[in-house]
Amino acid sequence: MEGSTMSGIPGPEEFRAEVRRWLTGTAKARAARQEWGRGDDSVAVFENRTEAEEREHTDRNREWERTRYDQGWGALDWPKEYGGRELPAHYEQLYRAEEAAFDVPRRTEIFPVTQQLVAPAIRIWGTEEQKQRWLRPMLRTDELACQLFSETEAGSDLAAVRTRAVPDGEGWVLRGHKVWTSGAQVATWGVAVCRTDPDVPKHAGITVFLVRMDAPGVTVRPIRQMTGGASFNEVYLDDVFVPDTDRLGPVGEGWKVTLTVLAAERLDSGGLGLDNADRALELARHLPRPLTGGERQQAADLFVRTLVQRLIGLRVTAALVAGREPGAEASVGKLHATATMRATTDLVQQLLGPRLAADTGEWGTFAWTEHLLGAPGYRIAGGSDEIQRTILAERVLGLPKEPKGAGS
Amino acid sequence: MFRLDPDPALLLESDERRQLREILRRLLTESCGPEEVRAQAGSPRGHDRALWERLADEIGVHGLAVPEEYGGAGCTFAELAVALEETGRVLCPAPLLTTVVLAAHALSAAGDRAACARWLPGIASGALTATVAGFLHRADVTAERGPGGWVLRGEADFVPDGEGADLLLVVAQVPDGERLFACEPDPATCDRVARSVLDPTRRQALIRFRGAPAEPVGEPGQAPGIVDSVLDAGRVALAAEHVGGSAHALDAVLTYVSDRTQFGRAIGSFQAVKHRLADLLVEVEGARSASAYASACLAGKAAELPVAASAAAVSCTGAYRLATTEYVQLHGGIGFTWEHPAHLYVRRARADEALFGTADDHRLRLAGLLGLTGRDGGPVDGDGSPHGD
Repeated sequence: MEGSTMSGIPGPEEFRAEVRRWLTGTAKARAARQEWGRGDDSVAVFENRTEAEEREHTDRNREWERTRYDQGWGALDWPKEYGGRELPAHYEQLYRAEEAAFDVPRRTEIFPVTQQLVAPAIRIWGTEEQKQRWLRPMLRTDELACQLFSETEAGSDLAAVRTRAVPDGEGWVLRGHKVWTSGAQVATWGVAVCRTDPDVPKHAGITVFLVRMDAPGVTVRPIRQMTGGASFNEVYLDDVFVPDTDRLGPVGEGWKVTLTVLAAERLDSGGLGLDNADRALELARHLPRPLTGGERQQAADLFVRTLVQRLIGLRVTAALVAGREPGAEASVGKLHATATMRATTDLVQQLLGPRLAADTGEWGTFAWTEHLLGAPGYRIAGGSDEIQRTILAERVLGLPKEPKGAGS
Repeated sequence: MFRLDPDPALLLESDERRQLREILRRLLTESCGPEEVRAQAGSPRGHDRALWERLADEIGVHGLAVPEEYGGAGCTFAELAVALEETGRVLCPAPLLTTVVLAAHALSAAGDRAACARWLPGIASGALTATVAGFLHRADVTAERGPGGWVLRGEADFVPDGEGADLLLVVAQVPDGERLFACEPDPATCDRVARSVLDPTRRQALIRFRGAPAEPVGEPGQAPGIVDSVLDAGRVALAAEHVGGSAHALDAVLTYVSDRTQFGRAIGSFQAVKHRLADLLVEVEGARSASAYASACLAGKAAELPVAASAAAVSCTGAYRLATTEYVQLHGGIGFTWEHPAHLYVRRARADEALFGTADDHRLRLAGLLGLTGRDGGPVDGDGSPHGD
């Protein structure tokens, strides 16, 4: 921290002013900024888009990410050799707070997966050649990477993956079936967790590969989720050849690579649900009738949840900035986030009453059904609430593991 | 409008604060364990004078947030919060909250230099104990100017540490409103009746003023502002204590469920137990964050303090309720015995909620502060007055 001014890192206020100047010259201000009752009233947790819409939206997102990157406002905390600015990690949050006032595309999940989950894992586990080949294109989003992790028989027990990778000449042949992949239709790479050795204990026989999503043998099919839309896919890998140069990390150490990605996912999920919770609080301010005492308490309780969730995120940031390993605060974020999402649904249900159940065409009412139906997905995705609790209990609190069952 | 914009570094424990915490943890472990707490709380004074002096002399806890010109160390509330977290962790029965936070803050907030010069050095050195009356619960006390100066008449109830305090800071009615007075109580003009209390480690008293001499502190008209400021300081202080108490409960349960075996395995290996402790950890980390932010707001005199203080109250009383409930439950039968310290924490957690407002009181206050009232939503009954009764 002391070295900040000496190394030419702008202070937070100075940085924000720079961001605003750049954004003003590059993007339009959000129309009718935050005006209640007008503009987009979508609060979808998972967007219901057709494949064509998904591609179009991804292209717009990508165009914006490239502009950012090329003009020095992407990859803020990355080293210069990857096009970054070497700024402290929390400057990305400062940037986003300013960007929220501008009319730029809302990032779909494939973007944080590529930039915040996969790229950092490549930085840790990749060979020099892989870093040179993948990092800049991924940070610039020329390449987008999806996660080929879960399988029908390997959900919470991810290390039970059965997708096989068998050596073949200069590479490997992959065969298996992955599920719950978001962004598979627009991704150029898939990070696949595969079994390379079925004869050793399950965590030891895993290797991770980056698979070209347009390689022969890769088939993507949408999964329709309970919202009615299809934000996820299943991916079939039918004898897909992957060169050994696309293997990430050593053979048999794929579980560690996987954990790197999962830890980043937990860290990245701490901000989930805040936008919609803020929107629900705006609803509490603008509802055209006085709130009852109970409703006020419920709204205030949601406010406290959002405040605490943001503060936990700031504590994680502060620890990282100070060069310390974050403690328990880094692991509790996702559970806070899913609880915030549920509390948001509950408040909106109370405030909207029948207008949540039947569409009257009013702005900002029936649109909340997208939140109501989407929120349960995040209690399951990225490690279910139950798995998060087990991780907290065993890894943070140090409680004894469950006795081993069959197949462990 | 409320804006969350703190420097993240303020939420992080500095090296100095960590050292302070370690020193205090050692001292309190050796001289304020569960048996000492019971003995001290049951003694006539209600706390251990020797420990009080060690905290004041060896560590300087009392003067941490008192300005240097009045004999303090001139640190910020953030340092004092560390001390309160540690004393809250062991349920130290010493009147720190009342003397060092409430009374000292009332004197400072009044900005009365003569009053500060007269009493703050005694508070900073540990020579003086003090408390406030008529702040947390409206008192029926009036002040009259007689031939020999001002005197107080009437009753103030639920005065924390009121029986033994050397100095009382009292909000009393004067003809044109309310005003703050300082009173050094004398049995000849002031009766102090100890109430039977839920939490023996934090006593309360009914005080009857019968023409007790008192001196005005600050100017007329200042009292409502002082009261608000003292209450928010108290809420932030209590939040720090609750983080300490909750963290103790979590630690104690972790130790117990790791050692205790049933059905041939440690009960902490059962998922039903694990997941409850994970939920408790989530709440405790949330409370820790809310408390750190509120402390930073109080230390930095931020405009967000009222929101931060009530948010911390919601978060920390909630965490403490859950922590103390689980403290008993996950200890099974032994946790329900008189001998086990768990009930002392249950008592503290619940009694403290009556001090500065329950979580629901604070939610209503927050709704008012943040405009979460619907369009044209005026106050509802009880809105915005967690201290009123």
